[in-house]
Amino acid sequence: MGNIEVAMGAVAAARPPDNLAASAVGSCVVIILYDPGRQIGAMAHAMLPHHSQATKHESQDTRYIDAAIDEILKRAATSGAKREDLEARLVGGANMFPEFKSHIGKNNVLNAKKKLEEEGIKIVGECVGGSVGRSVEFCVTSGIVTVTTKF
Amino acid sequence: MDKQEEVMRKAAQSASNALSKLTNVPVAVGIHQLKVLSVEDLELGLPPEELVAGIYLPVGGDILGGSLLAIPKEDAFTLSDVLASRDFGTTRKLSELDISALKEVGNIVCGSYFAVIANTLRIRIIEQVPNLSYDMFGAIVSQVLADLSQSVEKALFVEMEFVFSPIFFRAYFLLFLNGDEFKKLF
Repeated sequence: MGNIEVAMGAVAAARPPDNLAASAVGSCVVIILYDPGRQIGAMAHAMLPHHSQATKHESQDTRYIDAAIDEILKRAATSGAKREDLEARLVGGANMFPEFKSHIGKNNVLNAKKKLEEEGIKIVGECVGGSVGRSVEFCVTSGIVTVTTKF
Repeated sequence: MDKQEEVMRKAAQSASNALSKLTNVPVAVGIHQLKVLSVEDLELGLPPEELVAGIYLPVGGDILGGSLLAIPKEDAFTLSDVLASRDFGTTRKLSELDISALKEVGNIVCGSYFAVIANTLRIRIIEQVPNLSYDMFGAIVSQVLADLSQSVEKALFVEMEFVFSPIFFRAYFLLFLNGDEFKKLF
């Protein structure tokens, strides 16, 4: 049993006994998909709102929220999850510099919610916004998400 | 790497002179490590959960980019002791005054590097207001990368040591520029 670390811009899927984790999430959003009956989880750690804002054509680039969600939907399905049983959780989307008028974190959260709604995936929990960094661990066996901060 | 080192050493000297004036104490700035990181590779250079005071200075003008000075927690406390003329080991939590002073240090260090870059490339660089975040290194860098990702491809990572004899502290300077500026500069 181990934690599969999902770095910025990366995605991963897992079954028990493995868990999924993402460290030091700031303005990025971590999107977790979970099929509780089959215990299949997938995680994306995306940093930018939408690939249409890319200067190059990067529709498969999982740094972007929409591409990241497309990819974890595929990976969850490949692992045996049923789309109609998937539920989502969101973590992140902070503004690490509150004096700096940055909307990246907020836009990441909005885009994640919009994309999940378009895909018909229900969001069952979230820990988003604010101005603190978060680390997240997702236990694929139990479906529990643990979020830690440094304060 | 020689040209990079030359530019960084000029900037470090400039920063040490400015910090000496600020603190009225002789300051020496040393460079321990230089490496170029690709933004797409997303290597960060420090453990992502390490607690740092991160001073972010975005720039505009003839280039788009920015810099981040990351000072690990204990080093930030040490530096705060020096800046506030406290006994070494006094600071255990950053006050508003400490945050303001650290921002100024970030402004000086980052500004020194941009001054050298502007002179070397003969371009105009306009510095914006510095911002400070005291949190996990990875979380801070992720926002800087997201803010600059459309205009930058590479980051220069510099491990530095500042000596305010006999006290010293570590800091990590990240310089974000787009590919063309990187090639011209280095």
